[in-house]
Amino acid sequence: MKTEEFIAFLAKGSGVEPAPDLSHKLFWALSFAGLLSLTLAFAIIGAQPVEAFMTPTPWMKFAYTVSLMAAATFLTIRLARPIGNCRVPSVCLGLVLLAMLAYGAYHLAIAPEEAKRQTLFGQTSLLCPWLVLLVSLPGLFVLQIALRTFGPVRLSQAGFACGLLAGAIGATAYALACPEDSPTFVAVWYTLGIVLTSAVGAISGRWLLRWT
Amino acid sequence: MSESNEFNGKTASIATGHPFEREIAPIWRLAQTGDEKAYEQALRLIAQRLRAFFRRRMNNTPEDAEDMVQETLLAIHTRRHTYDDAFPVSAWIMAIAKYKLIDFWRKHGRRDNLTDEFDETDMSQQSIMAADAATSNLADIHKLLNQLPDKQRQAIELIKLLGLSVSEAAQQTGLSESALKVQVHRGIKQLAALVAQKTS
Repeated sequence: MKTEEFIAFLAKGSGVEPAPDLSHKLFWALSFAGLLSLTLAFAIIGAQPVEAFMTPTPWMKFAYTVSLMAAATFLTIRLARPIGNCRVPSVCLGLVLLAMLAYGAYHLAIAPEEAKRQTLFGQTSLLCPWLVLLVSLPGLFVLQIALRTFGPVRLSQAGFACGLLAGAIGATAYALACPEDSPTFVAVWYTLGIVLTSAVGAISGRWLLRWT
Repeated sequence: MSESNEFNGKTASIATGHPFEREIAPIWRLAQTGDEKAYEQALRLIAQRLRAFFRRRMNNTPEDAEDMVQETLLAIHTRRHTYDDAFPVSAWIMAIAKYKLIDFWRKHGRRDNLTDEFDETDMSQQSIMAADAATSNLADIHKLLNQLPDKQRQAIELIKLLGLSVSEAAQQTGLSESALKVQVHRGIKQLAALVAQKTS
């Protein structure tokens, strides 16, 4: 078919430009991803006792993971469509990460010599990043499938943003189940788990985010 | 340049001064409000721009370039809702075109571009072949339509090919107007997938 005819075909009855439905779809994808992560975290590890949430520790974790989630959502939205400016969300993301790393470093510095090992490694440092990755993966898949419908063009970057978002959601869910209480532990091992999820997102994004 | 890799604020403002942006922006704005004639005109302008873009980058395979023009037009049409007014429309269009080109290379391998298929033909012959290719490019639309589910095919035939209005088509089929619109939209997406299969 000639391109001219094809254009006439597309234009006929095309109507008003459809409204963007990004926030709507992303909301559902986020909710679904959160639900999956929560279910997994509770099923694999089990929730912390209620008394644990009377202490500031879990809230420190939530403050970090939820800020990260907000910054990652911002970045994901910017990368979801064919064009978008990523500078501001990237800066936000960097600030959140830096703040947490600085807070963790400070806690390690003020810890007494004999407690430094415990502050950094806790009891579960070997397991933590992998568990964060595990509870994040189903959400990552959901987010990428949702994102594909908006036509991202920088697939690795968009996949990375999805991984960051899924990782932050997973880490939030994991924080409900995790017994560790040192900010240094969170800054290092939670972050590592989230970075692992982002790496998986960047690689899988090249395939899962492709659209025609 | 509007087809630069980064579509951040800086390049966006450069793109605003681009002749193509100046030409397309007012027409596109009309098209957004549902002016079909303006939309058709916009697509025609876009096709010209895309043709130049793809020919320059796929100069050994002009028939593929014309396929890519149509495929990108289709992508632009089915992704209309992803356009954000904060950016120049030309930047949005070229971002999609670039994505499509990379996708083409990914499917075919970049080397395709360097094969010798046309080395023995001179430029004048090439343009004749390109013109030829453009007329027999995609298979007849009816052939593609036959592969769609009945409801989608019927909706597209009535509205897109016979040119009935949505309400007329609704009366004829007994379906609601919104249901018909959904069928057309799904059908076009399905066509896009079929075309993509065909070119890969």
